[in-house]
Formats: sequence, C-alpha cells, structure tokens
Amino acid sequence: MENFSEPMGFLIDNTKCMGCRACQTACKQWNNLPAEKTVFFGGPGYQNPKDLSDSTFTLIKFREVIENNKIKDWGYWKKQCQHCIDPSCKAACTAKAIEKIAYGPVIWDEAKCITGCSLCKDACPFNIPRFGDNHSTKIRKCTMCYDRIEQGIEPACSKACPTDATIFGELKDLLAIAEKRISSKPEVYHQYIYGKEEVGGTSVLYISGFPLEDIGYPDK
Amino acid sequence: MAMNRRSFLKRSIFSLSTAIIVFNFPYVAWAEKKKFKTTLTKETTTICPYCGVGCGLIVSTREGKIINIEGDSNHPINEGSLCSKGSALFQVVSNERRLNSVLYRAPGASKWEKKEWTWALEKIAKNIKDTRERTFVKEKDGKIVNRTDGIAQLGGAAHDTEECYLFTKFARALGIYWLDHQARLCHSSTVASLAASFGRGAMTNHYNDLQNSDVIMVMGSNIVEMHPMASKWMMKAREKGAKIISSDPRFTRTSSIADIYTQFRSGTDIAYVGGMINYTIQHDRIQKNYVLNSTNASFIINDKYSFNDGLFAGYNPEKRNYDKTLWKYELDAEGIPKRDNTLQDPRCVFQLMKKHYERYDVETVCNITGVNKEKYLAVCDLFTSTYTEDKSATWCYAMGSTQHTVGVQYIRTYAVLQMLLGNIGIAGGGINALRGESNVQASTDMALLYHILPGYLTAPSPDDVDLKTYIEKYTPKSNDKKSANWWGNYSKYITSLLKAWWGENAQKDTEGGFCYNYLPKKSGLHDHMQIFENMYKGKIEGLIAWGQNPAVGGPNSDKERKALGKLKWLVVAELWETETAQFWKRPGVNSAEINTEVFLLPACSSVEKEGSISNSGRWAQWRYAAIHPGDADWHGDARSDLWIVDALYKGIKKEYQKNAGIFPDPILKLNWNYGTGNEIDVNKEPSAHFVASEINGYFIENGQRKGQVPFFAKLANDGTTACGNWLYCAGYVNWSDVEGKDKTATNYVNNELGEFSNRYAKRIAEKDEPKAQQLIAEGRAPGMNLNWSWCWPVNRRILYNRASVDSEGKPLNPKRWVIRWNPALAEGKGAFEGDIPDGPWAPNDKYPFIMNEEGVGRLFSAKPNEGPFPEHYEPFESPLSKNPLSGQKNNPVIVLFHQGDELNKELNSVGIPADFPIVATTMRLTEHWQAGAMTRNLSWQAELMPDLFVEISEELAIEKDIKNGDKLFVSSARGKISAYALVTKRLEPLSIMDGNTKRIIHQVAIPWHWGYAGIATGDSANILTPHVGDGNTNIPEYKTFLCNIKKA
Repeated sequence: MENFSEPMGFLIDNTKCMGCRACQTACKQWNNLPAEKTVFFGGPGYQNPKDLSDSTFTLIKFREVIENNKIKDWGYWKKQCQHCIDPSCKAACTAKAIEKIAYGPVIWDEAKCITGCSLCKDACPFNIPRFGDNHSTKIRKCTMCYDRIEQGIEPACSKACPTDATIFGELKDLLAIAEKRISSKPEVYHQYIYGKEEVGGTSVLYISGFPLEDIGYPDK
Repeated sequence: MAMNRRSFLKRSIFSLSTAIIVFNFPYVAWAEKKKFKTTLTKETTTICPYCGVGCGLIVSTREGKIINIEGDSNHPINEGSLCSKGSALFQVVSNERRLNSVLYRAPGASKWEKKEWTWALEKIAKNIKDTRERTFVKEKDGKIVNRTDGIAQLGGAAHDTEECYLFTKFARALGIYWLDHQARLCHSSTVASLAASFGRGAMTNHYNDLQNSDVIMVMGSNIVEMHPMASKWMMKAREKGAKIISSDPRFTRTSSIADIYTQFRSGTDIAYVGGMINYTIQHDRIQKNYVLNSTNASFIINDKYSFNDGLFAGYNPEKRNYDKTLWKYELDAEGIPKRDNTLQDPRCVFQLMKKHYERYDVETVCNITGVNKEKYLAVCDLFTSTYTEDKSATWCYAMGSTQHTVGVQYIRTYAVLQMLLGNIGIAGGGINALRGESNVQASTDMALLYHILPGYLTAPSPDDVDLKTYIEKYTPKSNDKKSANWWGNYSKYITSLLKAWWGENAQKDTEGGFCYNYLPKKSGLHDHMQIFENMYKGKIEGLIAWGQNPAVGGPNSDKERKALGKLKWLVVAELWETETAQFWKRPGVNSAEINTEVFLLPACSSVEKEGSISNSGRWAQWRYAAIHPGDADWHGDARSDLWIVDALYKGIKKEYQKNAGIFPDPILKLNWNYGTGNEIDVNKEPSAHFVASEINGYFIENGQRKGQVPFFAKLANDGTTACGNWLYCAGYVNWSDVEGKDKTATNYVNNELGEFSNRYAKRIAEKDEPKAQQLIAEGRAPGMNLNWSWCWPVNRRILYNRASVDSEGKPLNPKRWVIRWNPALAEGKGAFEGDIPDGPWAPNDKYPFIMNEEGVGRLFSAKPNEGPFPEHYEPFESPLSKNPLSGQKNNPVIVLFHQGDELNKELNSVGIPADFPIVATTMRLTEHWQAGAMTRNLSWQAELMPDLFVEISEELAIEKDIKNGDKLFVSSARGKISAYALVTKRLEPLSIMDGNTKRIIHQVAIPWHWGYAGIATGDSANILTPHVGDGNTNIPEYKTFLCNIKKA
C-alpha cells in the first residue's frame, strides 16, 4: 500500500501549458460531468466556459502577454480548487460537511451539506465552490480525484496533460521540482512558487512566467 | 530529482479495472459514487481516431456498456496523456446523436425513412449495377479502358487499414476511377514532393524522435494545436536545450512554446525558405561530405536545362505544361550520371542551385513575405547552425504547406535545405509531414486515390496496353551498380497485387497478363475537384462516400453542395448525420427540388470494431472491439465499414450473377472471401485478420495458399505470390517463421487460416526492453520502440538511415546514432544494428537513397511539374499586382477551372484585390476535428468551441469598426459567411512591397470545422475557398485567398 501520510498535491507549471484543455475534458470524462451551453468565448482567448460551475471543476484561462504593443507570448493557466492546507471553507461550514484529508484533498459529505447554503463559497479566497443553477445542488468542485488516488491512479487532469504542465505527487517532491525549475531558468520563470505560503499554504503549487497576482490570485 | 509522473504511486501502472471493488472512503463526494468507476470492467486497448499521432487509450466496459476511456499509460507515444479530443472519445460511443438504423431519403422527399439493411443493400446494389451498365466504357480511341464513367467513391482516412484495402479493391473491381479521399485534400502534395526528393512519400521520422532534435522548425503547421501529443516530445527536446521556431501568418498556440516566432504573408513560403537556402550557401553552412555522398549536388545537368524570368526550359503556354525531358542528367558512356565532385562545374546541380537562389536575398525575401528582417536572420542562423554532423534539425509541416497552388514546391524547399544541412536520415532530423487523420497514412498506402495502386504503384493509363508494357514503362533503370534501385522490383509488386485481387483467375496470359486489364484505366485528372466539377456537369450520377464530408471539407463548398444535388444517388456510410448526408435539406434549399436518392448507412466507431491503423510515423497499430452488436451500448443496426463493404460487394455480385450485363468478370472473378460466406448476414462480421493476412501476402503453390510471405524481398513476378500491398509485407506473418514460443504474446493469432504473428499488435515498449536500453546507453537515439507495433517498410523507424553513417558504417553522430555497422554480427560477416537499415548491404556497397534510381537524394528533381527547383509564384488570388521575383505571377502549370467550359466557369469566380483586399487563410483548432462531425456532435467539445469565429488584427478591427465578440461577414468571390470576430494582437498587418509601392496587407484566419449539422453549427469557411489546386496533385489552395470583411 502507498503511504498516504505524506501530503500530496499538484504542481502546475504555466510555462509548459499549451492550452490544449485536455485537463478540462478529462475531468468531465472521469467525473461524468455534463457540458455547458456556451457562446463564442467566455473570456480572453479561447476560454470556455465563462467560469467554474457545478459541472466544470477545472478551467484553462488564456492571456495574451504584450510587450512594446506586440504579442510576446500567449499564456495559459489552470483554475481549480487549491485544496488549502487549512481550508477556510471547512472552517466556515456550519454543517461540518467539509473535510480536509491529511494527504491532500478537500472533500465533503454529501449527506451533511445543506442545499442553498453558500458559506463555503463566501469564505473561499479563490472563489471555488459552486452549486447548480439557483442552488439546485450541494457543493460541487474539484475533488483532487481522491477516488482515483485511493486506488493508486493519479488524477484525471494530470494524467491527461501532454506536456506535464500539471503533475501530481507528494508536495515535498513537487516543491523541490518547482524550486529547481525556477532557479535553473530565471529568464523563463517569475521567481516565486505560488501556493507555498498563500493562505497558509495550498496543495496546488504554481510556477509561472508572470506573477499570479497579475491575473487576480490573492497575494499573501 | 528525477520524478516520473506515473510513479507517484506504484500501483498507478496497474490497470484501472483491478482496483479494489468497493470504494470505501467515509467521505463520499456525491451519492452515486459509492463504487469505484472502473471496478470489474473489462479493458481493451485502442488507438485514437482523431489526428495522425497514434495515441493509445484504454476502454473500460462492463456488461456491454462503455464506462470510461482514458489514456494508455504503457503506450510509448502518449504515456497516458491525451488532448481534449482524445479525452472526449467516450462521447463518440455514448452519444444519442449516433446513427442506429439505415436511413433512406427518396428523390424529392423532405424526410428520412428508416429501413432494413437487406432492403437498402439490394437497392444500392441495383443502383450501382444500373449506373455501371449504362456508363461502362470498354474501349476509348481503340484502347482498352474498362472503366465506369458514372460512379465516384470518396473517403477512407478515418477507417481501419483493412477497410481501406477492401474499399480500394471493391472500387477497382467495379471499374471506378473517380476515386479519391481526404488524402487528396490534405497531403497529396507531400507524397509528390517527398517521393520526388527522397524516393518515398512519407514522413521521414516519427513522433517520439522529436525528442532527438536540436532545432525544431514548425512552418506550415500548427503542431501544438493539430498534433498536441507531438508537443510532449518537443518539450522533452526543449528540456535538453533544443530550440523551437514557429513561422506562421498568425501567432498560435504553437508559437507560444517557440523560442523565435516570425509572422509572414500567407502564400510566400518559397520566398522565405528559398532565402534560407541562399543563406546556407552564402554562409557555407553545408555539410559537405553528406552533400557529396548522399545528394545529386555534383551531378551534371544536360545543357538544354535553363531558367529565365520565372520559367524553366520547355514551357508550353497553350498546354500549360513543360517538356520535362529537357531537365536531365548528362550521362557518361555507361549511362551513369556525370559528376563533378569539386562542385565547381557551372552545369552541376550545386552551381545551378546556387545561381537560382542568389535571387532570394534577404531584402527581397523580406519585401515579399513581410517578415521582420532581424528575426528572419535569427531563424536562418539558428536553423542552418545544424549543418554539423553532431547537430540535427527537423522540419514539421502540414496543411500550411500542402494546401497551396505550389504545395509540392513548398515541401521541395524543405527537402533541398535539409539535404544541404545533412539532416535527412538522422535521428532528430528529417521532414515530418504531420498527418491529421488517424489512418490517412494507410488509406494513402492503400491507394484510395485514382492515380495510384496499393504500395504507390502507378494506376495504368490506356497507353499501358498490357502488363508487360506497363511494367516496362514504370520500372526505373540504373546502370550504376552501387544504386540499389529498389523500384527495380516493380514487376513483383504489381503481379502479386493482381494475384491478391483475382486469385487463380489471374494467370500469366489472362486479360493482358494476370488480369491486368480488369484494372480501370485513367485518362488525365480524376481528383476531388475534378470529381465535383464533373458531378456538377451531371457526368457522375452516383457517389459512395465512406465517412467523408465534402459538403464541409471540400473547397468552394457551395458549388460542391450544388453538385451533390445533381447526383441520381448518394450512399453515405457514417457515424452521424453529416452535412453531406443531409445536403438535400440544408438551410436555404427546397428539398422537393433535389432528386437525389440518399442512403445513410450507420457505421461503427473505432472502438466498436477490430483492425489496424497507421500513424503518420508509419507505426501500424492494432485496435480491438470493446463492444459488439447486441451489447447495451451498441447503436442499433450499426455495422463496421468492413461489414458494409463486404455485404455491398456480395449484393452487387448477386445482381451480376442473376444477369451478367457488361464486362462482369472483374466483379465475378474477384478473389473475395473474408469469412462470411456468400450470403449477406448481419450477424457475421468479416475477419479483419483475413484481410490483414492478404495485405501482407502469401505464397501460392498449385493454386493453394502456402503460408505468409515473410518480407517483400520474397515476392515474385511469376504468380507464385499474392500480396495486397508490398509495403505491408512483413506485418502479418507466419507465427512459426519468426516470433518464438510465447503464445500469450499480444501479437499471437490463431484462426482457421493458421497461426500468425500480427505484428501491429506488438506491445513491448522500449523502456521495458533491456537490450534496447543497452543500445541507447551506447548512444543509439531513443524512441524507436522497435517492438511496439510495426511500421513499413520492414519495421524501419527512420527512413533513409543509410545516410546517417560513413563509408565504414560508423555513425556520423555517435552520440545519437540510428544504425551502425557491427562486423561481429551475422557470424562475422557484419551487419547493421539499431534501426532496420535501408537494405542489408555493407555500408559502402550501395548509395543511401535506395528508392531513387540514382541512389542519392535530389536537390534537383525533374519529377515535379513546375520545375526541378522550387520557385516562388504568387498564390492564385494574390494581393499583389505582380510577382516580385519574375514576370510569371502564378504557378504556370495549374488547372484553371475559371477558364474552362461554361459549367466549369459557373460558381468559379476569381477575386481581385480591388474588391477583396484582405488575405484570408483557413485553419483548424485543437478542440475540433476536420469537417467537424466527430467533435461538433460531442457536447464537451462543443462547449469548448461552440461558434465559428474569425481572427482579425486590432488594426483591421479599428478600420472596419469591429469589436471583439461582434458578428461580422466575410466575403470572397465565391460566397459569404457570418462569424464572430476575435480581435487579437496575434495577427498584425504586414508591410509588403508591390513593385515599388509599399503596401499594408491585412490577414485574417478562419477555422473551417463548422457546418449546418451537429450540435455546434455555423457557416463553413470553405464557402469562401476557390476551386484551384497545385500543379501536380490538384490539392486545393485552401490556405490563401482574397476576402473582405464587414461588420454584421
């Protein structure tokens, strides 16, 4: 059996992402999530849907990087639950439905969650939890594919990723990889590992060509 | 720290189905998820049906239902990953939009009717016979032609190889010569160009080999979006220090991973790459020994050859063609080409080439293409830096190159450049023609094209009056003993093919020799556009479309849709109700006025049948059926195309047995037995294994099959071997001959024909092979995976690999070698090890390019119709008033439909810059696939890319008062479409010199996936594109035309 006492999570490296959105579809495929009706694009670039929802647990966003009024890069990043080390959603949940599992995922007990309540969403610094239209469902969000992890299979999104822009593993290993990457290529990476300290640390670490604060992520 | 992404938990290598039965965790995310999803499922492996990379997937089924489809972690190409389309394959199977019964539309009707297979097949067979009877031509101008004028056949690139083989055999037996498919529209210019340069028309290397490159040039392709898994191997190269260049009219997702990006005007690539050739010569960045030993640089050209003001010697303006006999080598007394190894003779290829490309100086190139000079020089410097023996660069291209009126010559420029740099035949090098359909490689190999027969044999013309004449004409000769001249074996391949098709009826003296005259003869061009032009004229009355959707994918689609309405009957075999299938009820038409009788036959998806497909690196991989007729997830009456073509053949044969009619022999005497008996039976699936074994070929003794031919060197021209495609000989062989004792191996097959090794099913990845790992430790280039699947020819993974060693067989690059001579092997006689070499001979015994009769690669090639060196011509619709390089504006040998007869002229208007000042290019997206049916019917893909849009620059948007998200109209001389505007800095206006005038040219890009069927609908970009093609293969110029835009 694996050692589930070591905390696990994702490392998302925006410089390796090429915006193919395999992760979005792989997430829907594994979790049997329905498609949403979309029109044109839901945000800059080719983004769709507009936002996370009760049927979209992960979303690739696009950003044109402009320098001297010319295109310099087309960047992509993956939005999903950060699986905080000390989740404020859990603290806010009066029904005690939300649980942080020691090895990583923040999940919930469907039986305890109260339909129509959105305290978890209000508390989340990343604005992650979603409910169906008019609160028709209980909390819905990324589960870190804990069902797969429990069976020794990595999460659907990181498995699908062609370029290892999203990898899954023990957080201490991911941190070491992140540190090595940013220090070995200072010309490519913004010298910062997002998620290491933010909101007390999260199980999703980001490294990127630009500060995540630029795209609306909360700073420390 | 080396962290393998799959090793986070050791059990991740276990299959999905061996998971613990009850999902036991106390916190259950939502109620239905109490059981682990894939517990107690059966697993089958499959290969992705979308692009040509060939990724592996695992299909999990339980009680006849498909539960889950995800990447195969053991697969060496994708290692478990997928793109968004591959990840959505589940929705191809689990989809209420799939066809589940035969649909029939009577002439003039406004609705479909459901029908039984037996009814439909009998009616189709009668239609085919009726049309064939009335339009069959036995002789023309006193020569045998034996062909059916009134029937056309399209499609095959998405089918299994075994299906393609039966399509080709079926069509030829019926006398069909209006025969074409997706390959005409996507890579026909590739085959014509690469074969003219190197002897074979295929991608030289393979996807995993991209990891071995030092420089990856992506021009003419959007590799990241169209072949996402290739990026996995590009990224691995980049991690080792490789540089990536992206040159494209617009900044794409490929450009976003590139080290250098250059923007340029669509349609000017020959100027761009011609300038790189000039840079290479001027800066002496030539791999000298390679150029001397492996190319025709030193060959002396006959003094009749010349080039003047855009035209080569021998041009005939009336016929719009060249007398190519003026473009010849000078021969010595023994008939061997003369050489000057100093490369100084002014008539040697090198000097002629140098002179030709001197005109492509940097200023001229920048003025034509609009490329930024500084960045262009950086591209030239970086790419040509790989001329040393220890460096490699590869050129990755696709439709951005092929789909131009000079498509063949675009690719020729890459061939010339790569040979000068010594980059062909080596690991990390080559010219990688990226295929966009999962099996378009094999559908081309199987010749679902009018001009060839399986294995790239030439389709005969009326002048080729019998087999002897035909063989004499098409067998190349060489007097040079060092030239292997492999095509010297031509007679064996054609004779074995005829034996496979007409069996014991094909004897030495029957029907022109081995039933040779049963083959329909071609006269001129019968390609996609010619088919639709002639259909529009009413000359073609029946069309069979196997999974092809020309109503969206064909150029000038309004004309092509109207042409469909002139058919008497149309048969479409499909998974979905495509635009082609429902053209008679498309928006804006009155169904009552369309008298075409339409049959829509429900086919199987890739995971519902068994067979092989070949990726663009030529790896032939076996797929298994995950569900079967009657299973819970089965779509009603759906049957595989293998079943449909088998049943259709039997139905037609029955009609001819009842009443013989005209020239029934090719049909009645056809060798056709795939295990289903003589009657049509919906419960009997033909055996893909029987077909695969015939494609490989077998020996014949006294009229009986006597075991498989082990490889094509054993094929014969005396009727003692049958072989459906010589290139695939060695893929499906006797078990006892070669494969050892382990009958649990995935490639072991035991059926009523015997025990076989089905090498397409081999699944031993290189990472699991200690012997391969040992060679890799000794410097052999990684990625070949010689025991995973099988590839033609004879499992050779890198073509032309003899060019990678010196005269003693030592690798030019010992740190990344492909083959090396080991004198200790073969009981001390010596042999190559590593990849399968291009022929067994000792290194210095034969020249490296064995498929060319001169034995070397052709910098100068007399094969292409426009000339031996690529020359820049403006696109058919150009924004410029003249060609800046010469007085010849367009390719002088292209077919001009707008100057044809009255019906050709209809709907073939040509746009001029005064009316249509903007350059348009069509493009594709990761999220959709080709003509759209396979993704616009999937809700997950429709969610990602719901609507047609056009990418325009901010400058153009301001000029036209258009904002991001506005609706706009795009118009061309052919028609008008409506789309959303995506305003972006990823496109910029370019500054171009038109004569002495500086002009600002705008470009727009339009994806062509949309149509009026499916759940994501929109106008088709091909309403705008012209009916004009390349001068060799008539591949349409989808990639550059003139348009205008207007706010809606």
